[in-house]
Amino acid sequence: MMKSSRAFGALKLIGLLTFVGFIALPLIQMTVISFVATLAHPDAEVGTMTLRNYRAIWTDPNLRAAFINSIAYVLINICITVPVAIPAAYAFSRMSFVGDKHLFLAFIAFRITPPVVLTLPIFQLFSTLGIVNSVFGIALAHCLFNLPISIWILQGFISAIPKEMDETAFLDGYSRPRFIWKILLPQIAPGIAVTAFFCFMFSWVEVVFARILSTTNGKPISMALSALFGFQTDIGLVMAVTAASMIPGAVLLFAMRGHLSRGFKIGKV
Amino acid sequence: MKDRTHSGWLFVVPAALVLGFVGLIPLITVVNYSFFEIFILDSRFWIGTEWYADIIGSERFWASFGRSTLFSSVILTVQIPLGIAIALCIPRNKLWVGISLAVVALPLLVPWNMIPSLWLSLLNPENGILGRLLPVLGWPSGWKGSIPHTWAVLVVMDVWHWTSLVVILCYSALTTIPSSHYQAAAIDGAGPWQVFRFIQLPQLYHVLLMAILLRFMDSFMIYTEAFPINAGGPGGATMFLAVDLGEEIKAFNYGPSAARSVIYFLIILIVSWSFTKAQSKLDEKQPE
Repeated sequence: MMKSSRAFGALKLIGLLTFVGFIALPLIQMTVISFVATLAHPDAEVGTMTLRNYRAIWTDPNLRAAFINSIAYVLINICITVPVAIPAAYAFSRMSFVGDKHLFLAFIAFRITPPVVLTLPIFQLFSTLGIVNSVFGIALAHCLFNLPISIWILQGFISAIPKEMDETAFLDGYSRPRFIWKILLPQIAPGIAVTAFFCFMFSWVEVVFARILSTTNGKPISMALSALFGFQTDIGLVMAVTAASMIPGAVLLFAMRGHLSRGFKIGKV
Repeated sequence: MKDRTHSGWLFVVPAALVLGFVGLIPLITVVNYSFFEIFILDSRFWIGTEWYADIIGSERFWASFGRSTLFSSVILTVQIPLGIAIALCIPRNKLWVGISLAVVALPLLVPWNMIPSLWLSLLNPENGILGRLLPVLGWPSGWKGSIPHTWAVLVVMDVWHWTSLVVILCYSALTTIPSSHYQAAAIDGAGPWQVFRFIQLPQLYHVLLMAILLRFMDSFMIYTEAFPINAGGPGGATMFLAVDLGEEIKAFNYGPSAARSVIYFLIILIVSWSFTKAQSKLDEKQPE
């Protein structure tokens, strides 16, 4: 019995390591190329190892701006999404009201609507309002998929908190909004962090809305990357920018690693 | 039990307003356009349901629909079992859980338009790791001319990109199983398969439903990643629904692309509706 369970454990480890190897393969390729000079430059011959690709991210004003734009729209998106999602998640978790199921269905439908379906009208709507080519436009458009996901994640965290806590607070004379602000928020702080992380993750890498809403200005990293492709593509630089674009996410991912899996405890809706 | 109170609406109003603005208003605009012939936005005339008839009647639509359905089925058949398996393989040790999850989630951080580039450079015969290795195993150098090989690249790429999400979802559900369940199973002498079948799998149902919904829809409407691999080729064999729509939008065919968007949104509604139905079935079966 002992022996077979140990063999099973080893099998699991091999399975996991194989998968990790598969995940790592393209990333290793990316990292290797990012350190190679792939176009002739005065200071580096083609094929030599170099740090110039990473230096170029800092020295090229377009690339530097792209990083700032990406960070800006993701932060704006989180600032819109999270405060709006918290009360909604609370309502879905604790209250039953007319149309709650239909509303949830509508939210789910918007989450799975591919951006390409709505690109045209969103572009028109946003250009009427003058928020195209700005990070604010991208941030707002990304609410389409981030808001439903945030409500879902937060709803799981709120449902994990015993209902007695609400009731005690109400007996103590708390109103619902005051209860959410004073008691619930500190309790679901890790949930808010996880939600913000997932907003970051889905928004940082999205390209369809980002493309149509940043044709002349406010280009995020993904669009700056697209702009690097041309007649002679410096693929080393492309890979370096891609690798660098993953660093903030990787740092957050590592910081959030303990909480990551706690975000999706599904409660009833 | 939930409180039966209509003040719940007050709490969801902000979210509903935001989604109404970025979702519902654009959707209504699209529905409106879909009934017009539009040359420039200021001059248009009503043509009724002609675009819909065109699209539904075209072989091209049904061919893309078939391809997208096949692609989604393949993706689900691979990713869901693989995601569950990997989630089960993650060690219980707290330190390694975090590290495994963080490493596994890395593909989710790559900008979507770079994912095809990563895979193309991996398959590059001159300096790609797989590009140099695979020909030894019989991978043809002209794989872009072959339908099965192009499909294989797309499927493997999508598995690489998205299985992590399934893993994270499944793992989070597995952590909700109290350790007493496992102890009870050990006392009864249950083997790994029985533990999986009777303890772990039932706990996964809800989360799997969500994973299937997300993965089905996102692969059914694959757009950004699919086109650059082989430009929809060879011979249109990787033209999916969303790629067709993207081409239509790029050509500024307002009317037809709007009608197409509406048809796609109807598909989405049907899918989300069956999802909520399935979810309430599950709720009935296992009261908490």
